[in-house]
Amino acid sequence: MNSSGTDNRQNAWVRPCTAVWIVLMLLTVAVLAAGQAGLQGGAIVSVILVTTWLKTQMVADFFMGLRRTGGLWRIGITLYLLLVTGLIGLAYRMSAG
Amino acid sequence: MQYQSQSVAKLYFIAAIGLFVGQILFGTILGLQYVIGDFLFPEIPFNVARMVHTNLLIVWLLFGFMGAAYYLVPEETETELFSPKLAVALFWIFLVAGALTILGYLLVPYAKLAEMTGNDLLPTMGREFLEQPTITKIGIVIVALGFLFNITMTVLKGRKTAIAWVLLLGLWGLAVFFLFAFYVPDNLVLDKYYWWWVVHLWVEGVWELILGAILAFVLIKVTGVDREVIEKWLYVIIALTLITGIIGTGHHYYWIGTPEYWQWLGSIFSALEPIPFFAMVVFAFNMVNRRRREHPNKAATLWAMGTPVMAFLGAGVWGFLHTLAPVNYYTHGTQITAAHGHMAFYGAYVMVVLTIISYAMPLLRGRAAANSPKAQRLEMWSFWLMTISIVFITLFLTGAGILQVWLQRIAENPEPFMVVQDKIALFYWLREITGVIFLIGLVVYIASFFVGGDEEEATA
Amino acid sequence: MKATTPASPPRRSPPGDLAIWVFICAELLAFGVFFVAYAFARVGHVELFNESQLLLDRFSGALNTLVLITSSYFVVRAVAAIRKGEATLCTRWLLAAIGMGSLFLVIKVTEYGHKLEQGLDLGYNLFFMFYWTMTVFHFMHVILGMVILAAVALKAHRGGYSAQEHTGVETGASYWHMVDLVWIILFPLIYVIR
Repeated sequence: MNSSGTDNRQNAWVRPCTAVWIVLMLLTVAVLAAGQAGLQGGAIVSVILVTTWLKTQMVADFFMGLRRTGGLWRIGITLYLLLVTGLIGLAYRMSAG
Repeated sequence: MQYQSQSVAKLYFIAAIGLFVGQILFGTILGLQYVIGDFLFPEIPFNVARMVHTNLLIVWLLFGFMGAAYYLVPEETETELFSPKLAVALFWIFLVAGALTILGYLLVPYAKLAEMTGNDLLPTMGREFLEQPTITKIGIVIVALGFLFNITMTVLKGRKTAIAWVLLLGLWGLAVFFLFAFYVPDNLVLDKYYWWWVVHLWVEGVWELILGAILAFVLIKVTGVDREVIEKWLYVIIALTLITGIIGTGHHYYWIGTPEYWQWLGSIFSALEPIPFFAMVVFAFNMVNRRRREHPNKAATLWAMGTPVMAFLGAGVWGFLHTLAPVNYYTHGTQITAAHGHMAFYGAYVMVVLTIISYAMPLLRGRAAANSPKAQRLEMWSFWLMTISIVFITLFLTGAGILQVWLQRIAENPEPFMVVQDKIALFYWLREITGVIFLIGLVVYIASFFVGGDEEEATA
Repeated sequence: MKATTPASPPRRSPPGDLAIWVFICAELLAFGVFFVAYAFARVGHVELFNESQLLLDRFSGALNTLVLITSSYFVVRAVAAIRKGEATLCTRWLLAAIGMGSLFLVIKVTEYGHKLEQGLDLGYNLFFMFYWTMTVFHFMHVILGMVILAAVALKAHRGGYSAQEHTGVETGASYWHMVDLVWIILFPLIYVIR
């Protein structure tokens, strides 16, 4: 394993993570803006929950490296994230009457 | 046995087993009193028998923990005990004080015992599990301090391992939380509140650290897996224990007058308490599967694998059954609690003490690694007899509990306590029969120490 | 694993030690139970939750989200550095991440101070019971994560990791990302959605 090969592979790993970092920051600001604007209601909650799931999925896939691990680990974490955000969404639907 | 001073553990283990027998005898008396209310009355009333049954349990487990510490700390730290003489002296003090206390329970009415022992000066008596006269409690503190001094000094002068630290943390926690036994506020809510700091933070907190350390020690010995790997798991397990167990205390604060938020905190955190036990099961089986040697002491390996399984079932699953506040609203203080208590104490703490005894006793008695096959076979028989008995005791008590909850609390026309007790008598009879089988298992266990002594050691 | 089964093919396991992943799963389960319990507890007290939520400092919550995400990214850089064998760089990224963690704690403590001044404590109402429990529980995890990262940074500084063997760095990183991930759900849940 020569060192330039390692470098390339590492760069290929870091660059998407940098993109993810920027996206995560922007989405967070967007969610804050939605809150500051006083937006509420079922549609907004759904959008924010989907955004939350996407953010966490990106953290798991890129930062935690599960995209490369794949298999049951990734499926398990994905199911967990969908289940948690999904149940939160369900509860909010129930409370909306 | 690598260090001469480890031999003091033998005394502690023998005393532990002796008191275990006493505990089980009183257990069978109690079980019979459930169905024949005036059995042995007025000599041994129910409340006294219950006190003896529970106090003996705690005392013999403490003997077991101390014996375990005296055995494993020299080996872990690779140095002789700081003071073997102190260990022997404290043993006799503790044994005599314990015996006098039990005799006090049996021979004098409790109120009279309180008067005789000067409870007026510093009232601490009369609380469940902490019934000991104040002077006995002070004695326990002195013994604990001497013991901790001895063990801590040994660790400080020797090699520092994760197992030794975790054990030490558990033992210090045990001593510190016992101090709340001296704090008896007049306010009943506060009284109960701090009482749990002893009871809960012992069995669902610091004792679990002791359990984890002893189990890890035995697993290193019988599997030959790298210390590094085992210690890593130990860290994970104690972290999970503390995260869930400390706030999990809240599951005792539902109905005693504490703020409402405890129903949430207690429910959520205690619902997670099975996790460390589950991790322990995964850990033990993983280590045994990855073993690098076949240890000739098959019995010890069996105990070491049985402990996490039964602890997970008894403490984890049976605890979870009634830990959520909405469920506990109906099950509080019924036979469900008794079912959980029996399997949890056996699975977690009785079994871990028997595990270390099973591993250490042959070595303390001069064997190179293990007992003869004949003795081991008998010991494994006792494992199954006692373990299966406790499973059935738990199932019968659970049956009794479900019926009790139904008839007494959920049914449209709830029936009075004593009427319901009559209706669940069948379960009590079945429990008593299984209790006798447990006692037989215990006799077999003791017999295993006396057979095959002149035969060859087992080999892997 | 590596010692006992040298012949078996490499397992596709996530970065870091398996034990930390068992721990991470347990932690995710714990937080998951909290989140779902919060959401369903709200069903019976929508008014109370909506009113109480307005008493929170949404801006401070968002700022903390940005801080944690950034610290997570720094940890990614630390892992990338050690994979190239650059221990000094790795240590610096880790220290930067720990610095961000400290910033998180400072912001959080300031927020707590304001809440306590206003008398909005654990027993104030059901919403604040959840607010305190979940955020303090998370707060403790940030501290634990920082301790882990500090231990890793120290070992990296002493040259304990290399391009070939750096499981410890990945182990600490995975834990820290979990702490980040959980906060990413926590923030919108209690500060924003209504």
